[in-house]
Amino acid sequence: MTVTSPPATPQLPPGADPGKRRGLVSRMLEALLTQRVVLLAVLIILVLVGMTLLDVAGLLSGSYNADYLASALISAVPLAMLGLAQLMVILSGKGGIDLSVGSMVSITGVLFGLAYGSWGWGFLAAFGFAVLAGAACGAINGALVAYIGFPPLIATLATYYAFRSLALVISDQKPVNSPEIQAFYSAAQSIEIPLIGGTLPLVPLGIFTFLLPTVVVVWLVLNKTTFGRRLYAIGTNDVAAAWSGINVRPNRMVVYVLSGVISALVAVVTVAQFASARPDAGTSGNGMALPAITIAVLGGVAITGGIGRVAGIVLSTLLIVWLNAGILLAFPGNDGSQYQLLALGLVLIFASLLNGITKRRYGGI
Amino acid sequence: MTLEKKPAHSDATRRTVRRVLPPPVTGQEFVLIGVIAALWILLGIFTPAFLTPGSIQPLLVSVAPIALIGVGMTFIIITAGIDVSVGGAIMLCAVVTAKALVTTGVPLVGAIALSVALGLVLGLVNGTLIAYGRVHAIIITFGTANVFQFLALRVFGSSTVNGIPSTLEVFGRGEAGRTLGVPNSFALTVLAVAIAWWYLRHTAGGRHLFAIGGNAQAARLAGIKVQPRIVATYALTGALVGVAACFFIASGTSTLDQTIGSGRELAVIAAVVIGGTSILGGRGSVIGTLLGAILVATVTSGVTQIGWPSQLANLFVGVFIIIAVGTDLLRERARRKS
Repeated sequence: MTVTSPPATPQLPPGADPGKRRGLVSRMLEALLTQRVVLLAVLIILVLVGMTLLDVAGLLSGSYNADYLASALISAVPLAMLGLAQLMVILSGKGGIDLSVGSMVSITGVLFGLAYGSWGWGFLAAFGFAVLAGAACGAINGALVAYIGFPPLIATLATYYAFRSLALVISDQKPVNSPEIQAFYSAAQSIEIPLIGGTLPLVPLGIFTFLLPTVVVVWLVLNKTTFGRRLYAIGTNDVAAAWSGINVRPNRMVVYVLSGVISALVAVVTVAQFASARPDAGTSGNGMALPAITIAVLGGVAITGGIGRVAGIVLSTLLIVWLNAGILLAFPGNDGSQYQLLALGLVLIFASLLNGITKRRYGGI
Repeated sequence: MTLEKKPAHSDATRRTVRRVLPPPVTGQEFVLIGVIAALWILLGIFTPAFLTPGSIQPLLVSVAPIALIGVGMTFIIITAGIDVSVGGAIMLCAVVTAKALVTTGVPLVGAIALSVALGLVLGLVNGTLIAYGRVHAIIITFGTANVFQFLALRVFGSSTVNGIPSTLEVFGRGEAGRTLGVPNSFALTVLAVAIAWWYLRHTAGGRHLFAIGGNAQAARLAGIKVQPRIVATYALTGALVGVAACFFIASGTSTLDQTIGSGRELAVIAAVVIGGTSILGGRGSVIGTLLGAILVATVTSGVTQIGWPSQLANLFVGVFIIIAVGTDLLRERARRKS
């Protein structure tokens, strides 16, 4: 039995292999290739060490230290949150993907800005309104995909156009700007962690108010609820899931609603960060959807569904954010943002090619 | 005996072949033609300026690059692939060509050849990574889109390329860009659509693409060289992006800025999808793509001419995608039930 070579038994989970006869190096290589979390952790360490060496050598325009890394985390908030949204959507299988998250960020941000800044609603009321709007937008995607049977790419491409257009029309193409919203900027400031904060760097507030709760909730939902387990089942094989008594359609619809809700949360963070509700917040330039999908793929989410972990999303976000922060120091000014594009593209191609190799060599990710 | 039987036999074969082929123009395309005609008539009634050459000619000029890239994209999507890097590829081809025009003053043919050759290389990179890396096309092209944009921004150097000479004016909006009142870029696009229609419908190579999109594994077992075919579709799209980049330069001003190409990949995909090509592969037509591009351009132009905010046009694009794909899905469901 044990003579069977790993490539011939693709169903064999990694680690179930009889490891005694194989060397440490071979096992480490397998862990590195088959467990995305391990690979990402190694890459993060490589980036941190490499950038620190460049810093010591005096090749960076600023110091790449803990304070800088902590302040860079502000850009991790929208990236990781939308990455988690993509994680759930892609997990649900059947080509699941959500191109409309950027547009949903724009439209819910504008609605939040109008409610909080112009119509004089309280913060909680405006916040709830934005979340409901996000859920409604997501429900449109979900209904199209789960009930009518649209390919997700098409449904969310259509709503990407529709929501983006509505955001610009509702706001009359002007950012919503009022004293209330400008005061709201404080929500994006960096704070000292209480009790132990004196010795640690300042961390952006959004990490604690938005990102960490989202990470914890998504992790709990995916790993500790029946809904989460059903989601993995549906994503792996929705016919088998249906035959085992899972009601596929409502479950698949819910992930798109959740994606809309997370987009609304990101919208509120973004309004705080820019101190104004911009109608193109999620769609200007490359938009927010493509980086989020990149984060998800880099984090080991299989585009075919059913495979993906929260830890992968968190680590791939940290990798990209800290790599980008380093690039900004290495190439000051406009060059920095250009080299960030290159890094993102190369990392994505590298990660996906690696997925292919891993699949052929060990079976599965 | 065999001599007598042969014609009958080949006649029967020809008849079965005819039955296997889809109708030359499908239902979805007739619907699109009807919708476009209705829109043009309505717009003509409400804004008298719409049905004049001064309004239709720029509309056709704006259709040309989207529909031309759409031809390649249709090929790709028929094989169940996708290319979201065309925006970045347009940017890179356009900026390199524009720089060449400004600094070395290359002639028309040289500029087009340069742009097409560059686009071809970019397409080959995409195709090779997708076909031989066995990675999902959307992921690879997201990645290459970033790399192409990076390269384009490096070539840009400053924020714009200024003082582009009018070498490419044969594809432009002006008088030099028209023959008998029809924009040259649009005429060229229609020619490309016609050739592609014939290729997809009447050659073995074209039918192979449908087979690959229907079931790549079955196609491989049937003896189709799947991987070279896939590389070829991306290379074709790249080359067409090169031509379209020339159209974009010509239809703009003498200044090229960094927003060139941005978001075009989604516009092209929207045109293809509205045209009735299935994103799941195995089904599609280039005529539909051309009609889809015309429909999108009509809406964009119509919304501003009626005096609505121009941003509203994208809402209609979204709604059209949903209607076009939705009716297709319902028809498919009805077909399966019967």
